[in-house]
Amino acid sequence: MAHLLTPGTAALAQHMIRMRLALMRNSLRGDNASNLYAGVSLGLILAFATIAIAALWPAYLPLTLAVWLSGWIFGPIFIGGGGETLRPEYFSMLPTTPGRIAAALLAGAFAGPAPAVNLIALLSLPVYGWRFGPAGVLIGLVAAVATLVTMVMISRVVVALIGLFVRSRATAAAVGIVTGTAIALCGNGWAPAVAVGGADTAAWSRILVRVLPSGWGVAAVEAPWPLALAVLAADAGVIALLLAAWAGLLSRRVVSAARGGVPPRRGIPRPLPAAGGARIAAAKELRVWWRDLVRIQLLATAFSYAVVTPLLLVTIDVWIMVPFTGLIAIVMAAASSANLYGSDGTALWLTLMTPGAERADVRGRQLAWLLVVGPAAVLLSLTGTLVSGQSWAWPWVLGLLPALLGGGAGVIVLLAVTSLVPGTDPHKRGGNPLSTGADETAETGLAWLVLVTVPATALPAAGVTLLAPWAGIATGVLTGALGAWGLGRIAYRRLESHGIDLLNLMKYGPPPQAGEPTTADLPIRHRIGVTVCYTVAWLPLFPQGLAPMFMKIFGVEDRVWFLALHLPSIWQWPTIIFMIVLGLLMYGYAVLIPMRLSSSSSTTTG
Amino acid sequence: MPAHRELALRAIGLRKAFGDHLAVDDIHLTVPAGSFYGLVGPNGAGKTTTLAMAVGLLRPDAGSAEIFGVDVWRDTVRAKGLIGVLPDSNAMPERLTGREVLTCLGLLRGLPPAVVAERTDELLQVFELDSAERTLVIEYSTGMRKKIGLAVALLHAPRLLVLDEPFEAVDPVSAATIRTILHRFTAGGGSVIISSHVMALVEQVCDHVGVISDGRVVAAGPLADVRGTGTLEDAFVDLVGARTGGTEGLAWLTS
Repeated sequence: MAHLLTPGTAALAQHMIRMRLALMRNSLRGDNASNLYAGVSLGLILAFATIAIAALWPAYLPLTLAVWLSGWIFGPIFIGGGGETLRPEYFSMLPTTPGRIAAALLAGAFAGPAPAVNLIALLSLPVYGWRFGPAGVLIGLVAAVATLVTMVMISRVVVALIGLFVRSRATAAAVGIVTGTAIALCGNGWAPAVAVGGADTAAWSRILVRVLPSGWGVAAVEAPWPLALAVLAADAGVIALLLAAWAGLLSRRVVSAARGGVPPRRGIPRPLPAAGGARIAAAKELRVWWRDLVRIQLLATAFSYAVVTPLLLVTIDVWIMVPFTGLIAIVMAAASSANLYGSDGTALWLTLMTPGAERADVRGRQLAWLLVVGPAAVLLSLTGTLVSGQSWAWPWVLGLLPALLGGGAGVIVLLAVTSLVPGTDPHKRGGNPLSTGADETAETGLAWLVLVTVPATALPAAGVTLLAPWAGIATGVLTGALGAWGLGRIAYRRLESHGIDLLNLMKYGPPPQAGEPTTADLPIRHRIGVTVCYTVAWLPLFPQGLAPMFMKIFGVEDRVWFLALHLPSIWQWPTIIFMIVLGLLMYGYAVLIPMRLSSSSSTTTG
Repeated sequence: MPAHRELALRAIGLRKAFGDHLAVDDIHLTVPAGSFYGLVGPNGAGKTTTLAMAVGLLRPDAGSAEIFGVDVWRDTVRAKGLIGVLPDSNAMPERLTGREVLTCLGLLRGLPPAVVAERTDELLQVFELDSAERTLVIEYSTGMRKKIGLAVALLHAPRLLVLDEPFEAVDPVSAATIRTILHRFTAGGGSVIISSHVMALVEQVCDHVGVISDGRVVAAGPLADVRGTGTLEDAFVDLVGARTGGTEGLAWLTS
């Protein structure tokens, strides 16, 4: 007799939670374990900071919770898919309704560190409610749970929507543009806020942060009893709607056949050029750029960030960054292209089995990257400088442009072969077209490395421009050419000698006794420190250091949330300098500590 | 005659451990030139690992491999010029069409464009991939992936083909086509090594066999010597010491 009884939702949910925990336990080794510990430590710090805000500066609580919500929304987009441990595809053959599976998967989604950390952060709601008496605490507790479920649900629906609808270049680019704009707003969002005006801003932003799902809890706590209950009931209704939407999206995803983020095409592709060596490799690579939705999305992110960031400053009539739009685009595009070999997966074997193809492949990838990024960056630089009317910027733009383009073309191939982050082979990826299956923390680290290294290649040109403006152009052309040629040469030599190791890293994962230590081998204390520094160093450096510095230089009166500008004027410059130094020190620590460990242990093991 | 003694492939003491697991333990293999060699063994015996080390796709912990006397790990570039490889489940340039993959690899190998175009046409036709001109490799079915992999291995007319499970997931008609192509290849002086766990197939197409179990060679030589009087399957079960299961348990399935 066939056994046809399907377990109920509760039992199903219980199994999902067990399965999720088992998967987590099994993956808790080496890199993954220390990444998790570091991430959880950082999350806990932020969670307790949120509770502190509720206790000490309650006016900022809804805004802080909005930041948590944006983490749930944009986190999965940044890191490509939100690391779905339990893929809905695993359960598509269970004889039960999509709604039940969705509810059970949701339960599984809560069996992880992120929701637990977020729940601690949301305990800020009962803490805030304490000001309103015991009822406030009670409503705060209920609201904390409801808000957590809402946030996780929104995150899941965003992932599901991306998985289902990012099937064309246009949608992939749209996701990229939204992401790039969001990052730009994180950095320079204060500018339009200042532009809109001081006191009024407070009024509408107070309402805005309460209208967002993250602010409903605050609104409920502040409201009288009946209204509070209504808000909570509405929240429950929204959760039910989101669950229904998610169930619908999941069942559509499971039966949609699309694989690996390939845009739809029409017609037979044009024949490849009858060239050899680097040219044919470049022609191949250009087609890949055009046919890979992940690359299109990342490129759109880079360019939209580069365009939006200066425009945000234009709202307060600061045009200083506009000429540098193209340069920002180059650096961001390099950061999103840093894992070229990792994203192609084990296809590397063909390059390795073709005599002499390593050089052609590296040169071809450089050429293709320059063709994809170069023209747009040049155009943005020229129009940006012209339109902004900042004629002093010409030597800087013209000198740094070739330096960064060449440096970027060199750095990306070098890092692609020295710091490869293995992912899932393209043909084995799941239903989410924007997920590469790579370790997100390592990929983010690689992107940061590019963000530091590529500008460094332009330092000579910048230095010469400072001394003799027009000589900087020649220097930029020279270092750019040298960077692309020299770093590319190191890269293909490395590929010739270590290509097999890269291939097997992607096929079998890292060797059990790693010869070369990684950040993961750091003592946990340093590992946490490095992660925390990477994550928060931008705060003192950019918004609390460089931004108030520019505002003081340009005489902008608004104090926004910049600590320095709230202090007596005698303390303003020292505070700004302290913040910049603090930010640089944090970045320095985060970069240098792993490097020091790496060099000291390679001398002992080597 | 020296030609008879020439070896297409020689593996000497290959060894590979993944962590604590010894996947390949001191494997010696000799594949005579012009032979159709079948490497057989149960799942997880070390066939794929052995072949990957023999062609230079996996660095052995110990031992070496020679292809027509060329050391794979010392004279890598020359060795690569002599072989065509079909590895197990590696990615391809996934976002190219089959024609683009062949064109690109042919040109990268330095073949003249006209030759590349001609061979690409013929290979696509023979493997019946020419109807999928708009399909990217990432959208190929498992069988189509196997066929484009074979086409890539053949493209530069190598002297030795090393094919990991070439018949797996391939339909019977395509399998017959592949068999014919490989027989023509050996008849023309080429050498072929395939790995498989389908004994009947190996018995049918191969003239030499090597049996691997638990990372060691348990028998190797001309087919007739290895199988003796019975079938290859009987010999295999004897050699590997396996016992066919399936008669116990699972009572609930038939009740």
